[in-house]
Amino acid sequence: MNPDRDSIFKEETTILEHLHLDGDQHILKLNSPDIASTALPGSFVHVECGPQFTLRRPISIMRADKNSGTIELLYKRLGRGTTALSEREVGEPLSLLGPIGRPFIPHPERKRPLLIGGGVGMPPMVFIAESLRSDSSYQPFAILGSEVPFPFPVTPSQMVIPGMPDGVIGSMPLLEDWGIPNRLASLQGYPGTHDGYVTDLARHWLDALTVEERSQVELFSCGPHPMLEAVATLAREYDLPCQVSLEEFMACGVGGCAGCVVQIETPQGPAMKRVCVDGPVFEATAVFGA
Amino acid sequence: MEKPSLSVDFCGIKMETPIVLLSGCVGFGEEYTRVNGYSNREIGAICLKGTTLEPRLGNTPHRIIETPGGMINSIGLQNPGAEHVINNILPNLDFSETRYIANISGSSVEEYGEIAAMFDDSPVDSIEINISCPNVKDGGAVFGNDPEVSARVVEACRKATTKPLITKLSPNQTDIANNAQHCIDAGTDAFAVINTLMGMSIDIDRRRPIIGNNQGGLSGPAIKPVALLKVHQVYQVCKDHNIPIIGQGGISNAEDAIEFIIAGATTIGIGTALFSDPLICSSINSGIEEYMRKHQTSSLSDLTGTLELNQAAPATPSCEC
Ligand SMILES: Cc1cc2nc3c(=O)[nH]c(=O)nc-3n(C[C@H](O)[C@H](O)[C@H](O)COP(=O)(O)OP(=O)(O)OC[C@H]3O[C@@H](n4cnc5c(N)ncnc54)[C@H](O)[C@@H]3O)c2cc1C
Ligand SMILES: Cc1cc2nc3c(=O)[nH]c(=O)nc-3n(C[C@H](O)[C@H](O)[C@H](O)COP(=O)(O)O)c2cc1C
Ligand code: FES
Repeated sequence: MNPDRDSIFKEETTILEHLHLDGDQHILKLNSPDIASTALPGSFVHVECGPQFTLRRPISIMRADKNSGTIELLYKRLGRGTTALSEREVGEPLSLLGPIGRPFIPHPERKRPLLIGGGVGMPPMVFIAESLRSDSSYQPFAILGSEVPFPFPVTPSQMVIPGMPDGVIGSMPLLEDWGIPNRLASLQGYPGTHDGYVTDLARHWLDALTVEERSQVELFSCGPHPMLEAVATLAREYDLPCQVSLEEFMACGVGGCAGCVVQIETPQGPAMKRVCVDGPVFEATAVFGA
Repeated sequence: MEKPSLSVDFCGIKMETPIVLLSGCVGFGEEYTRVNGYSNREIGAICLKGTTLEPRLGNTPHRIIETPGGMINSIGLQNPGAEHVINNILPNLDFSETRYIANISGSSVEEYGEIAAMFDDSPVDSIEINISCPNVKDGGAVFGNDPEVSARVVEACRKATTKPLITKLSPNQTDIANNAQHCIDAGTDAFAVINTLMGMSIDIDRRRPIIGNNQGGLSGPAIKPVALLKVHQVYQVCKDHNIPIIGQGGISNAEDAIEFIIAGATTIGIGTALFSDPLICSSINSGIEEYMRKHQTSSLSDLTGTLELNQAAPATPSCEC
């Protein structure tokens, strides 16, 4: 019998808020009590964008609030599906399947999680940050990168972070409010952000730690594939564990079709693993080599 | 009137409902149980993922892409091999929930026979012979598009098993009815009609096919009219031999299902439609029941092949163009 029986809900949600931001980015807040109750950082929902589509679209969960029974998604308009989604209005229903996927699981002994999110890979990092908030033994640091305007007002941080280049003071207010230090990177020259890559900032941060502190670091990342590869290379260089969340085209989203596979290295040799239910979170070494 | 019954006899296999979940869409039978509210008990039978003698990694991503009214897939028969399926997967399936059908592909006529023999000695209720997979070079459609070779594959499997054999026919051939006749002569007990149509989708910026394997099989509502005609054509050769058909290709609601039954199907297959609605089977079951009540039909098999063709007007010679 499948140990994951009944873990995914088909939920007819209602759109509570739909914010339309610069850079074709949108934030959806949905009334989704079943999914909110069991979602974990890294989980995603499979969204029905309209009756005209044969397939749903996978979108990560950014926030899940068990108490209010709501979830939030951040998505970028890309093609037909996300365009149709962006036209849906507050009060309308939206069918979701979720929560789906193996989540990010912070190691209990690695108390300094480094969260690196790029573009629409930011949402799972926000989710990890929020989940770590309640456990004061963790000291996370988040680095977010974007090549379109950040989907929040970039705000000068009140927190001092050793190793950051001069002027790199911009932060995400939500994380700042949670007491989670964070910095931003972009090649677009947005004020307060690092003019370069997320991995540059990661390197500065790691180099400013003591050897002892660095041994407590674990990397978590979601974003474009080349960014993930750079993060995996960095993790290898510093000999740190690293979990990455991958994307692939999906049909069923529940493990039935083997349409969403990526090649993964296993002790038995190469294997094709399904991003939807074997992932989307994988060990970076299994994806990019040890 | 008696309460309509959804149960059907499909070449000796007793199915609780006429719904068959199609090979490749539901893994090895347990994947959809992840979905809350889904139950294998609402399904007449489940065709397991296409299985080969040796394990296969399958094709390079991307393996799927949405297309207008459907999708293209080229999975490439990713599976752990027949031995693993028999020893490690089948023992964990709950045969009290539904019937299970193995789906087999070989790279030679003999290999089909070999795999059929392996499944003969297993608890599956039936064996579906996939001679129509468009996604692997060394198997599938190479056999299924030639009636003589199709018949040799069926013959090899027939010798290897006493379990009911279902031959899955390809729509990518000139005369599907002729092929069906050859397969009946070779000993098939039933047909699955149709497998996917061959298709392609191109990324115009990269000027490359989106699918890693360049081309793949088209499924979903887009192929329904083609599938329906093929079921009608195959039914013409099946009806005198009492050979049942699993009608499939783009079925996404009860009305579609009933169309296939009227055209000649005994059971109906659901594949792609599950991807947008994993709970679709219960609404299809109740839609069929409602139709049976409305049309005072107590047994579903009474509906099979009840299509009455229109008569061509005497002054207009029949022409398909
Ligand atoms: C686990 C997971 C989590 C994701 N989380 C987010 C998120 O939080 N925010 C966000 O903006 N995007 C996210 N994506 C990407 C998002 O799924 C795609 O942008 C979206 O499917 C594009 O659909 P479309 O119809 O607008 O684009 P089109 O290009 O028209 O899509 C055509 C087909 O390709 C598929 N496709 C195209 N690009 C992707 C892609 N990158 N990943 C998966 N399928 C794709 C579509 O689903 C569709 O089936 C995630 C993807 C995965 C796999
Ligand atoms: C993702 C996917 C994988 C498939 N894999 C197989 C397979 O392994 N063996 C097989 O006989 N048919 C396979 N098929 C074909 C289906 O079983 C079915 O015949 C076809 O999709 C038409 O039905 P549908 O339109 O309801 O999906 C596959 C179809 C899809 C969409
Ligand atoms: S999308 Fe079907 S197995 Fe992952």
